[in-house]
Amino acid sequence: MVKVTYVAADGTRTDVDAEPGSNVMQTALDNDVDGIVGECGGAMMCATCHCYVDEDWTGATGARNDGEDDMLDCAADEVKPSSRLSCQIKLTEALDGLVVHLPEEQA
Amino acid sequence: MPLAPVDETVSIGDLVRDPYPIYRRMRAETPVVRVPSVKRTFLTKAAHTKMVKDDVVRFSSNDPTTPMEPAFRAHTLMRKDGEEHRRERMAMQKAFTPKVIKTNWAQLYRDITDRYLDRLPRGETVDLYSEICAPVSARILTHILGLEGASDEEMMRWSQQLIDGAGNFGWDPKLFEITDKANDEMDVHIAACAERLRAEPNDSALSLMVNAADPIPWSQIVANIKIAIGGGINEPRDAMATIVYGLLTNPDQLEEVRRQEAWGAAFEEGIRWVAPIQASSRLVMEDTEIGGIDIPKGDIVMSIQASANRDEELFEEGEDYHVFRDKNPHQAFGTGPHHCAGAHIARRTVGEIMMPELFERFPNMSLPDPEAIVWHGFGFRGPLSMPVTLN
Ligand code: HEM
Ligand code: FES
Repeated sequence: MVKVTYVAADGTRTDVDAEPGSNVMQTALDNDVDGIVGECGGAMMCATCHCYVDEDWTGATGARNDGEDDMLDCAADEVKPSSRLSCQIKLTEALDGLVVHLPEEQA
Repeated sequence: MPLAPVDETVSIGDLVRDPYPIYRRMRAETPVVRVPSVKRTFLTKAAHTKMVKDDVVRFSSNDPTTPMEPAFRAHTLMRKDGEEHRRERMAMQKAFTPKVIKTNWAQLYRDITDRYLDRLPRGETVDLYSEICAPVSARILTHILGLEGASDEEMMRWSQQLIDGAGNFGWDPKLFEITDKANDEMDVHIAACAERLRAEPNDSALSLMVNAADPIPWSQIVANIKIAIGGGINEPRDAMATIVYGLLTNPDQLEEVRRQEAWGAAFEEGIRWVAPIQASSRLVMEDTEIGGIDIPKGDIVMSIQASANRDEELFEEGEDYHVFRDKNPHQAFGTGPHHCAGAHIARRTVGEIMMPELFERFPNMSLPDPEAIVWHGFGFRGPLSMPVTLN
């Protein structure tokens, strides 16, 4: 199991146990975490799964995937250097304890 | 495993008039079912419609048996898969972002909505569908796409003719004569607009595509502008008319939507309740299985998002319009790589501009005869008129 913490725009924290191999978007949906819509199911076509990776974790999550920059431009909320599409962050044991912050707006 | 059961009882006419009781029965009794009158295998459960659209390896959008190709005189991005699809899609996607709308267009869209609302007489009964929902959607889309100079009438007619052609499963040559003529007109207008936008670029879809450093072929620029014409007018129009109906027939909800300014939620619920695009086809690429039913390679499955949006497993009282749902994981914009390119635009124009402006202008609007509204359509669905009394 990989622990992931979602911090909502209002500061509410939700901890969930994720399946390694899943991704940050799908894990949020599977655990009823609000604030991630993930409407295209991870096809990188909707930008409704935007998140900000906590500064302690940007190294571990690595660089954005091919094409992710372009789709992030379609996000509703401000894009920062720590912005990622959460469907593109695959969960591995190395990300156990990951913290992501959610934007106010997704759609 | 068994093959899909066959439902001989359902006709296209039944589906066009009112598919919802049929889908409810199918979800309960035969969630995966062959419907000979439509020559498709219907998928009516949310888990299946989503799975099929998310899995492009087993279920391709490239269905060569649709009349879409002759109707658009092109192989459009809606019927492509993989990298080729992504490249064409991303060529115009940046014109459809929330940021571009907010910074460049929102005020213009408000002004357009106001201008059409100004024309309405107070104290009379008017058809909002033809006076507001359709022409405002058309006018806004003209700017988004970069097609200034086209009239409302042209935009609405082209859109309807493309849709009728793409749905011409009877292969009636007369309908293709109509789309041929519309294509000729659009080709001329799009070329003229491209010329202007090369000299004076802006943030419209056509401008982005023609001025790109590495543009996609001209044939595809034209084809995909046409997809956006076909996809960008009738759906917001039908969505808006449906939401007006939902709110006016549920005054307590309208009151609460006003109090909380929950226009976004009212929009989401409207498109869940009656999805403007009700069904999409996918071609089965290999022998496979859905919900315990064998699906042979070469079959065409229909993802019925209209039914998924009322699936009892996800929605309580799904047959009714309820704005204040806890969760609303509808599939009205589809899912997977072909997820609606205009979803952000529709949410912002209809949900954040057109709906609030309308109800602010006419706070005591009423629907004199809800029973008289005729709902119509199988592939695309909405009311055919929305006569309201304004004051
Ligand atoms: C409430 C309004 C709307 C609804 C409910 C809607 C719904 C949909 C759906 C369900 C699809 C996917 C079809 C499939 O899976 O085969 C789609 C695709 C598409 N829509 Fe929308 N749409 C709306 C508004 C718009 C607007 C305003 C535009 C134009 C800017 C637009 C442009 C497109 C395009 C270009 C595609 C094709 C995407 C692709 O194949 O990659 N739509 N829409
Ligand atoms: S789920 Fe759509 S881009 Fe991530």
